[in-house]
Amino acid sequence: MSSDPLEIPDVLKPIENLLKGVAIMKPGRVVALLEPSDVVKAYVALKVRYGETGLYFSTLVATDLKDEGKIRVDYYINVLEKNQYVVLRTYVPRDDPRIETLLREAPAALPGECEAYDLLGVVFEGNPHLRRAFFVPKEVAEKGIFPLRKDSGV
Amino acid sequence: MTEEVNKADKVVEIPMTLEIPVGPQHPALHEPLLIKVYAEGEYVIKAEAHTGYNHRGIEKLAEKKSFYQDIFLCGRVCGICNTVHADCYVRALEHILNKEPPPRAKYLRTLTMELERLHSHMLVLAVTAEIVGFDTLFMHMMRDRELIMKAKEIVTGNRVIADYIMVGGVRRDLNSEKIDKLKKILTKVEPRIRYYWRVFEEDVTLNKRLVDVGKLTPVQVTSHGLLGPVARASGVATDSRYHDAYDAYAEVPFRIVTRKEGDCMARSLVRFEEMQVSLEICRYILNHLPEGEAVPDERRLPRRFPEGEAFTTVEAPRGELTYYVMSKGGVNPYRVKIRTPSYNNIINTVPFYVDHTIADVPAILASYDPCISCMERVIVVDLRKGTRKRVSMRDLARGDV
Amino acid sequence: MVGTTRVKIVRYSPWLVHFNTGACNGCDIEVLAAITPLYDPERFGVKLAPSIRHGDILVVTGGVTKKAAIRLKRLYEQMPEPKFVIAVGACGCSGGVFSGSYSMVSGVDKVIPVDMYVPGCPPRPEAILHAILKLLEKLQKSKASKRRAEGVAEA
Repeated sequence: MSSDPLEIPDVLKPIENLLKGVAIMKPGRVVALLEPSDVVKAYVALKVRYGETGLYFSTLVATDLKDEGKIRVDYYINVLEKNQYVVLRTYVPRDDPRIETLLREAPAALPGECEAYDLLGVVFEGNPHLRRAFFVPKEVAEKGIFPLRKDSGV
Repeated sequence: MTEEVNKADKVVEIPMTLEIPVGPQHPALHEPLLIKVYAEGEYVIKAEAHTGYNHRGIEKLAEKKSFYQDIFLCGRVCGICNTVHADCYVRALEHILNKEPPPRAKYLRTLTMELERLHSHMLVLAVTAEIVGFDTLFMHMMRDRELIMKAKEIVTGNRVIADYIMVGGVRRDLNSEKIDKLKKILTKVEPRIRYYWRVFEEDVTLNKRLVDVGKLTPVQVTSHGLLGPVARASGVATDSRYHDAYDAYAEVPFRIVTRKEGDCMARSLVRFEEMQVSLEICRYILNHLPEGEAVPDERRLPRRFPEGEAFTTVEAPRGELTYYVMSKGGVNPYRVKIRTPSYNNIINTVPFYVDHTIADVPAILASYDPCISCMERVIVVDLRKGTRKRVSMRDLARGDV
Repeated sequence: MVGTTRVKIVRYSPWLVHFNTGACNGCDIEVLAAITPLYDPERFGVKLAPSIRHGDILVVTGGVTKKAAIRLKRLYEQMPEPKFVIAVGACGCSGGVFSGSYSMVSGVDKVIPVDMYVPGCPPRPEAILHAILKLLEKLQKSKASKRRAEGVAEA
C-alpha cells in the first residue's frame, strides 16, 4: 500500500478534515484511515455529499491483529457517483473493542456488525440486535469464544 | 414491537438456508435464518429475522488451508454460483501476486460466469412461476435450463461445480469443435428465453401476482445495501461488471439493465433482459476468443505469497459478491472475508414485507433470489388456536392457509 | 440414458422426501433436475412426497452438522416402513471438503442407515435417478415379501 499524506483523492474531499492517513488497496480502493469515533461522522459526510442514492454500504470486515493488540474494522462503501470504492479503516483495542454503530445511518450495516460482534467480539454501541449465537453455534458462544480470533482454539 | 405482535393472529415461519460462509469450522448451513412473518388476518404487520445459526465456517477453515486449497473451498460456498466465487477469490490472489491472466483465459472465465448467470436466472424465474401456480412454465424452463448445463459442461467439464478457474488462468481450453457445439446451444436457447420473457410480460396470472407487489424505492435499495437485479429493478444502476470491469467485461458488449417499477415483475423482467445480455456476451466471446494460452503451468505458480491485501468484487447472478483476502506472507491466508449478495438481499429486506398479504410473501421472497432449497415448507402457526401446520410455499402463495 | 427394461411393472408410486442437512445446494439442484421432464422419473412412478409420513425414500444431501443430525434422525423415525435412504454427494457419503470438522458428523451413515451412496460433487441427475431405480427394485421385493408374510395373495 502506498501512503501519500499530501494528496487527498477527490472522492475523500468531504472527509479530509477527519483523515489520519490515506492509502490505496488493490485494485484501486481508496483507504481512509480514521479514528474509531470519526467513522460515523465520515459516513454522514459522504452521504451528504453524494446523496442517499449516490452510495451504498457494501461490506464490513473485522480482522484480529493479535500481535498488535488491535482489531481492525474496515467499512467498504461503494460510491456510485464516483464509481469508486472507499474503505473507512479504523483500529480498536483488542481487549476492549468498542465503536459506535453505523446502523442509524446505514441500515445495510446490520448483518456485518452482528457478524463482527459474534465472531470477533467487536461491540457496536447502539446496535440493539447484537447478541451471541447470532451466527455462532450455542456451545461455542456459551464458552465465550470468538471463533475468528487468532487464539480462539477453534 | 410487542403491541403489533399481540394483534397478530398467525405467524408464518420461513426457514431459509443461505450461502453465508461465516464462523468457526461449522461447515453446514441448516436453517440458519428463520424469517417470521406476523399477520393479522391477511396482512403482514411485522416481520423479523431470527438466526438459530448453525453455519459453515469457511472463513476460519480458509485460514487453515493454503491459498490454493481455498479455491476449492470458495467454489463450494454456493453450488449455484460457484464460478463467480472462484473467480472473485482467484482475482484477489492475482492482485496480491501482481499477476494477470492471459486475455484468452479472461474471456473463458467471462464465458463461464455468463453461462452460470443464465442457469441461475432460469432457475429463479422457473421457481417464481411455480410459486404462483404456473407449473408447466416451471417444467419447461427447467428442461431448457438443461441446455445451459450442457454448455457449462462443455466448457468446464462439469455441470454444476466447475473447479475451472485457477491462479493465472483456467484449467482447460476450448477447441473449434466445442465452440461450434456451444454456438448451436446458444442458438437453440435464445428463442426459448425470449418466449418465456413474453409469457412473463403477457400472462394474466403472473401479472396479477407480480405487478405492484413488493415495491422497493431507490432510497430503500441503497440504504439497505440491496444488490443485483433487486437494486437494478428499482432504477439503481449498479453492477460490478461495470464498476470493476474485471476479466473481459471491458471488451465485450455489456450494458447495465435497469427498470423503474421496483416490483416483483420488474425484478423478473430485469433478469430476462440480463439473460439476453448474457447470450450476447457469450456469442461475442465465442466469435472473438483471443489467441494464446489460457491454461497456466501450475508448477510455476509460487507456493508462498507475498504480504498484501486485496478487495475484489464480482457480479454474481444474485448481486454483488465481495471477497477480502489478506496475506501476511506464507502459504495460508491471514484473513478471508466473503460477503455474499444474499447476506444483504435476504436479511436486509425483512422489514419490507409489512403491509403485504401473506399470499404475496412467497413471490416477494422468490424475487430476491434466495437459494433454491429454501423454497420448501413453511410453518404456519395459528396464534389463536395454538396450532402449527406445515404448508408448501405454493399453498401459501395461493392463500390456502 | 437409463434403460426401462430392467424395471418390472411398478405396483405403487414410491415417494421421495428430500432433506438438506447443510449442503452447498449443488446436490440439491441436481436432485431437483432429476425430477424434471428431461430425466422423467414419473414414468417410474417416482414423485416428491407431500409429507414425511408418505415417504418411501429419503434423499439426503449435505454432510450433516450436529443440529441437522437430530432432525435427520427424527425425520427418519417418522417414515413408515419399508423405508430407504440415499446419501447424495461427497458430503453425504463422508463429509466431502468439510469432513473432519469438530462440529460435523461427517456423513449420513453416522446418523441413520444408508441404502445407497451416490458419490460426486455433485453427482449427475442420471446417477441420482439410477440410485432411485435400484432402490425401486429393492422396495418392490421387500413389499412383495411383506405382503406374503401378512398372508395376502399377490394380484
